Amino acid sequence: MTNHWIDIKNSDCILIMGSNAAENHPVSFKYVTEAMARGAKLISVDPRFTKTSSRADIYAPLRSGTDIAFLGGMIKYILDNDLYNFEYVSQYTNASFIVTKEFKFDDGIFSGFDPKTRSYDKSKWSFEMDENGVPQMDRELKDSRCVFQLLKKHFKRYKTSVVSKITGTSEADLKKVYETYAASGAPGKAGTVMYAMGWTQHTVGVQNIRTMAIIQLLLGNMGVAGGGVNALRGESNVQGSTDHCLLWHIWPGYLGTPRASMETLDDYNIKNTPSSNDPMSANWWQNKPKYVVSLLKSFFGQNATKHNDFGYGWLPKVDEGVHYSWLDLFDDMYKGDIEGFFAWGQNPACSGTNAGKNREAMKKLKWMVNVNLFDNETGSFWNGPGMNPSTIETEVFMLPACVSVEKEGSITNSGRWMQWRYQGPKPLGNSKPDGDIILELGHRIKEQYRKGHGVFPDPILNLKWDYSTDGAYDPHKVAREINGFFLEDVTIKGKQYKKGTLVPSFAFLQDDGSTSSANWLYCNSYTEKGNMSTRRSQKDAPNNIGLYPEFSWCWPVNRRIIYNRAAVDPKGNPWDKEHWVIRWKNGGWEGDVPDGGWPPLQNEDGTVNPNSRYPFIMRKHGHGQIFGPGRADGPFPEHYEPLECPIAENLMPDNKRLVNPTAAIYGTDADAHFTCDARFPFVGTTYRTVEHWQTGLMTRPQPWLLELQPQMFVEMSEQLAELRGFKNGERVKVVSARGSVECTAMVTKRFQPFNIDGVDVHQVGLPWHFGWRWPNDGSEESVNLLTPPTGDPNTRIPETKAFMVNVVKL
Amino acid sequence: MDVTRRSFIKITGVTTAGLAIGKLGFDLSPVKAHAQMLKTAYARETTTICCYCAVGCGAIVHTSLKGDGRVINIEGDPDHVINRGSLCPKGASLSQLVENENRLTDPMYRAPYSSEWKKVSWDWALDQIARRVKKTRDANFTAKNEKGDVVNRTTAIASVGSAAMDNEECWIYQALMRSLGLVYIEHQARI
Amino acid sequence: MKGKAFFIDTTLCTACKGCQVACKQWHQLPAEKTVNRGSFQNPEDLSFSTYKLVRMEEVVVDGKLKWLYFPDQCRHCLEPPCRDMAGDKDAVYKDEKTGAVIYTAATKGLAPEDLECPYNIPRKGEKGLLAKCDMCIDRVYNGQLPACVKTCPAGAMNFGDFDEMLDMAKKRLAVVKKTNPNASLLDPEMVRVIYLVAEAPLLYHQFSVAGLRRPGMTRAAALRKLTDPFTRAVASV
Repeated sequence: MTNHWIDIKNSDCILIMGSNAAENHPVSFKYVTEAMARGAKLISVDPRFTKTSSRADIYAPLRSGTDIAFLGGMIKYILDNDLYNFEYVSQYTNASFIVTKEFKFDDGIFSGFDPKTRSYDKSKWSFEMDENGVPQMDRELKDSRCVFQLLKKHFKRYKTSVVSKITGTSEADLKKVYETYAASGAPGKAGTVMYAMGWTQHTVGVQNIRTMAIIQLLLGNMGVAGGGVNALRGESNVQGSTDHCLLWHIWPGYLGTPRASMETLDDYNIKNTPSSNDPMSANWWQNKPKYVVSLLKSFFGQNATKHNDFGYGWLPKVDEGVHYSWLDLFDDMYKGDIEGFFAWGQNPACSGTNAGKNREAMKKLKWMVNVNLFDNETGSFWNGPGMNPSTIETEVFMLPACVSVEKEGSITNSGRWMQWRYQGPKPLGNSKPDGDIILELGHRIKEQYRKGHGVFPDPILNLKWDYSTDGAYDPHKVAREINGFFLEDVTIKGKQYKKGTLVPSFAFLQDDGSTSSANWLYCNSYTEKGNMSTRRSQKDAPNNIGLYPEFSWCWPVNRRIIYNRAAVDPKGNPWDKEHWVIRWKNGGWEGDVPDGGWPPLQNEDGTVNPNSRYPFIMRKHGHGQIFGPGRADGPFPEHYEPLECPIAENLMPDNKRLVNPTAAIYGTDADAHFTCDARFPFVGTTYRTVEHWQTGLMTRPQPWLLELQPQMFVEMSEQLAELRGFKNGERVKVVSARGSVECTAMVTKRFQPFNIDGVDVHQVGLPWHFGWRWPNDGSEESVNLLTPPTGDPNTRIPETKAFMVNVVKL
Repeated sequence: MDVTRRSFIKITGVTTAGLAIGKLGFDLSPVKAHAQMLKTAYARETTTICCYCAVGCGAIVHTSLKGDGRVINIEGDPDHVINRGSLCPKGASLSQLVENENRLTDPMYRAPYSSEWKKVSWDWALDQIARRVKKTRDANFTAKNEKGDVVNRTTAIASVGSAAMDNEECWIYQALMRSLGLVYIEHQARI
Repeated sequence: MKGKAFFIDTTLCTACKGCQVACKQWHQLPAEKTVNRGSFQNPEDLSFSTYKLVRMEEVVVDGKLKWLYFPDQCRHCLEPPCRDMAGDKDAVYKDEKTGAVIYTAATKGLAPEDLECPYNIPRKGEKGLLAKCDMCIDRVYNGQLPACVKTCPAGAMNFGDFDEMLDMAKKRLAVVKKTNPNASLLDPEMVRVIYLVAEAPLLYHQFSVAGLRRPGMTRAAALRKLTDPFTRAVASV
């Protein structure tokens, strides 16, 4: 979230699309309710009428996988009716930047496409630079090659009539949504979006969010209270685990993993550190080398020195152009190329798309380590449906982790708040905190390499691993390492800092090895003042908008609303006087921690203040990106159909491409997929219910929750049930190109067929919480046996929100 | 930890959606047998953050000071500024996640071609895992790729997980995996 | 009016069922073995081990789809018919301070039908006892909100002094009526659990208001029973 949970109360219009917050984030509705009590409008856009829809002022249905068409229509509406915030768009976004003539869009393809590699040469989407290497701009937004004019041209095709044909939403509903949401662009008004996997789990996932980000920039909704682009993250610490980068492509703090060509730290820094020639651009990532060296000092401690590149060469490098993501990992495992596998606090036999392939892949492992609270479909895969244990070699070690209340440590919520948890009871039986298991395993591996000859033992033996106290894992020691230390006595800005003391904030980190910080984003979280994440002050900030700055701590540097320098006009006056985030007063900012302390962009007389910086400080050029040249699939969003879809041609004019031409596609015999195939006539989608969580592994073994939601089900319209002769509550079978799952039919008015270009298209929906292990009669199975083998080209998040199925009698 | 009974009561006088309700102004003298002490009276209170979705709701854990020292109650933390004491059904059932007879309480091992689990010791399990890590890594270590670039990695071991771990655990976990040369490091955020 | 009351604003409920679980958690009630009957509502009905149940109905009103939620529970009637019908003073009594209607072990042998509850609340367990919501009276006496109220995320559940709750209900009704002219409070002068509904009460649940669906009983008779225990015998003849 750019903003945070409590801030939803400050909104004037809340769009819940790609999520079902009332069902999956119920406590967020405390703040939706507060906003509505102040007169805010709630809009729910979803393929089916949900619990969120039941509380909404406006509900609009759309067919799964058509969000870009829906939102693209809103962009056109905003532009056609001049509903954007001109000053904001002109001054704070790259709408004014001039794009080179190499950028083109024809027949559904942007310039630079290579059909062989199914990828783009992004250099074709660049900006014209002036003689100083600064992007050329037209702040009047009139130049025919400026981003604003290109945006207008691109979305001209997104007429309401066209959008309606694609999405199945009535034109009247579209207009109602557009009009209501666009009203949040008025001065002093704020609109927010609450989205989740309903937007990310598509072959156009990133572009779904880009489309909304463009809307938010046009309406001046970024940085303001009650605004922002807010991902409702689904797991208690998925924000923290992402920040600490349990992901192949990034190191802690979102530092890119080194590629094979970056042999030295210098190579890495040169290729990864952006530079800007614009003196008004803060270009914050220019500090990257400081964060990288401080991270390496945390990895290897005293063993990381200037002379050995701080141990940079000890860490693995990835090949250029190769992905090592989830889909690729299981593809490789299926092909038999992986021997050992850690499934640590995760249940891929149910959680991954095309789970049947994943389960088959596990048979090819030599060994698996599975750490969990409960026995599960992954650790016991060899004992699952259709498996014959006597033919499966895989050794499995199943290790019992304890529950979060039995240990101590911090987690980070969706609003970036790091919050400390304390130990209540001791771990049950012989279960242990994950931290103890990891630490002890590390010691054992180090021991193996210490005593025996091993291949390239340097990184293992040099890894700093002193995180225990009295023989047990000590989360405080790690938390302090994450914050970082001064490793030498230093004087910075006239102030002395002693060796061994905690660094106050990332502004103090250095690239010479004199500081450590295991994650620069968390530098400031555990300082000489103490563990900031334990704070519990009930006091609000002076702007009284629910920031609670002394309750827990949030990254970066306790800034509760990021991009908040865009919450004020160029003279430093808040767009919204009532719910102001920061404001310039007596030569300083007050309110939230500002995105840098520089003065406002303009002086009182309207002249530019050269000491200021543009508000979007994490962007190279300091501007919000309406034109996004960094994405794999185009600088502007474009509607493409899901890999499996019910129509044969893209209904968007001047687009001859049905599916995102860069979508990730896999080719083993387990990766079947079909488009417009009569055997699979219905659109399928997946979602969660309030009673369960993810694959259900932490909810299905609980009688109270299983009582509330006991069985796998498929929701469908009354019309579809009649077509198939199903009764409500009857067990039926849902089939896709990959597998089949038995479900209880839930026949409901809340699903209605979509009119897609004159044809009735039916959609069904299934929860993804079930699996054969719990309930322990083996009666239920995972929806991911049905879901497709494809994903977004940027993130490689699988397309589990739109695929084709059939529903048949048992 | 500064949760007190007093603040507990104070907060319970404030409703959830900004509507005001009255104070619960009782005298506490027991008038009937039902007006007993709360079951949480002899319990230690600790705060936690719910382990399900990422709203980050606060909860109070009551651990019995008698007997087995187990959890007897978990409910919303009224001093938590996000949830103000409220919890959804998953959060409200936290105590049953902890005190659950289905939980794993010992390391288990499944041998090749076996159809059953065997209870094993931590010492044995971790030692065996460390040996397998070394064996697989050493036999499948790529010092240089096909182009001749130094890559120092192994693709024969993969890891998934976990957004269910604490920040500090995530950090040391990725550090351990990266020190081994793993590049297949993924977790819930990818799906 | 002395004592306590709930105000349940169904227009804010999101059917998250937090109240159902919080009730079970506090009372340590066992889960029931259920099946999916083609509905998000589960269990199907109240029971000896389920005192609180969010009932869910999909209805179309004036061509518009509504999903109505009704967190059902004992109403803690001001003059509870169940107390009078139980015969045994020790089986069902009304707590003086709170007004909570409490069932004891002496309900053994009574049948739910005997108690003529206009809201169809009491349920019998295996050992012959009757059970229902007890207002979390142990919590209330110790200055805490009932478990269901405390856990409610969206502000649908409220609890406090009777007059205050009634006042809050009336004020909220005035607001809701502006957009939902059919909105009403259910039996507000007769119960300690005051519901606000936006649509016709029977769309939510057949026992949402007293007596409307009781065979052979008019609403007037039912209300008379509620308000005047001395006419009860006459009305039921």
